[in-house]
Amino acid sequence: MTIDEPLQTALREVMDPETGINLVDLGLIRSAHKDPHGAVIVTMTLTTPACPAGEMMVEGVKRRLLRVDGVADVEVEITFEPPWTPEEITPAGRAELGWR
Amino acid sequence: MSTGLATRYAPSFRLIAAHFGLGLLGLLVLSAALAWRASALHGHYFQPALLGLVHLCVLGWLVPIAIGALHQLVPVVFEVPVRSERAAWTALALYVPGAVGLIGHLWMFATGWGLVASAGALVVAVWLYIANLLLTLARAERVTLTGAYMIAALVWLAIAAGIGFALAWNLHAPFLYVDHLRWLRGHAHAAGLGFFVLLVMGVAYRLLEMFLLSHVPDTRPGRVALVAINAATAMLLVAFVFGDVPALAIAGVVAAAVGVAAFFVQVAWLWRARMRRRADTAWHHTAASLGYLAIAVAAGAAAALVPLPAPWRERVALAYGFLVFGGFLTSVVVGQLYKIAPFLVWFHRFSAYVGLKQVPAASELLPAAPQRVQWVLMHAGIAALAAGIALAAGPLRLAGAVLFGGSSALVARNLWTIYRRQP
Repeated sequence: MTIDEPLQTALREVMDPETGINLVDLGLIRSAHKDPHGAVIVTMTLTTPACPAGEMMVEGVKRRLLRVDGVADVEVEITFEPPWTPEEITPAGRAELGWR
Repeated sequence: MSTGLATRYAPSFRLIAAHFGLGLLGLLVLSAALAWRASALHGHYFQPALLGLVHLCVLGWLVPIAIGALHQLVPVVFEVPVRSERAAWTALALYVPGAVGLIGHLWMFATGWGLVASAGALVVAVWLYIANLLLTLARAERVTLTGAYMIAALVWLAIAAGIGFALAWNLHAPFLYVDHLRWLRGHAHAAGLGFFVLLVMGVAYRLLEMFLLSHVPDTRPGRVALVAINAATAMLLVAFVFGDVPALAIAGVVAAAVGVAAFFVQVAWLWRARMRRRADTAWHHTAASLGYLAIAVAAGAAAALVPLPAPWRERVALAYGFLVFGGFLTSVVVGQLYKIAPFLVWFHRFSAYVGLKQVPAASELLPAAPQRVQWVLMHAGIAALAAGIALAAGPLRLAGAVLFGGSSALVARNLWTIYRRQP
């Protein structure tokens, strides 16, 4: 997971509607980078290819990142290579899910 | 090609809301009828008020929710649009008068042309739903284990509906060569075991994986359950209809038990691998439903295989039917409604604000406390009703029906609260 810093802070405000956990801690954001012209490319996955919340999360990512200073354009690429597994959830996300 | 953005295939919110609303109305009417005629849950199962109650439970409550959920899940899970929303609306327009007419005629045991016409409208509606859903599934690139369960369940529903129509006609003008009650048992098992149990199992693998954040690549128990439950339904149908085939009945009961056990193993694996450790009320409903299913299998096996004395035979058979439809299916449906309804409302009212401002999670649209109270009332009611049926205790049945009615009112109140939430 490689995410440029101001983008990571913003992406932590976009939640998965089912778990209420942000997409970064859920391990859905694989990478997010901004080029010098303000164009951001996000590569993300979903918990399952048929995730019913997929489209909303992609739109939410775009809307949130477009509010970050210096971001002019956002492109989101969905990948299932490799498919998401629960091991990608961060320690913070695990704590929110009730892991002790 | 999979885009990963499956919600674009979801049907209109109105279509799903209409089915869920109808089911909820059915639950409330069922609860009132149950409190009014709790005395019907006693004696032989072939009596008008009991036939009316069972069909009110199945056609008024469970089937509309199952059909609504299928129209939401099939497009989203298999990434294909519903073949025809107009066909689904047409089916609903036929279904409502058909179901109301059939329940009313059975309750009053009015076996005239009204019963046949109602059953006719109902069977056309159900077959139209099934054809539409199967044609939708036929467009899927890949049929997963859940898809195989859904296809098998829909085929059994078509068979159950067909037998149901024949039974209605047979009440009006007897024509069935084999005894009516034998066909009735076959009809009940095609619907209960073939349609509902297979549907719940198939959908459960998918939803538990999503809701528990669980990943179990090994689906062998699920495949065993699929084969076993299909085999059990077929064997029990033949054993009931053609009678005097004890070996087939025994094999059917064993296959049903194996299928349910294999399903439990798959669910246990999903549970063990879950990342989401906090169990919510929806999961507590699901857990209770699995308990009812286990007891129902034992009661069904006893009713079919053990030579019980006459009053106990009827009580155990009634308790078995109640545990399947009133216990297992009702709990699992209420539990999943607490998951699906908030999500649908969240999707249509809140999703446009994600990334712009703080929005609640779908699970936050309803506080936990009223869900917990509803859970307690419902399972106290189900337990009292099951015990009242098994022990032939009238006051216990009435107390159970009143508790169940209170819980149903709370389900409606909770879902209404979710529906009214605005950003």
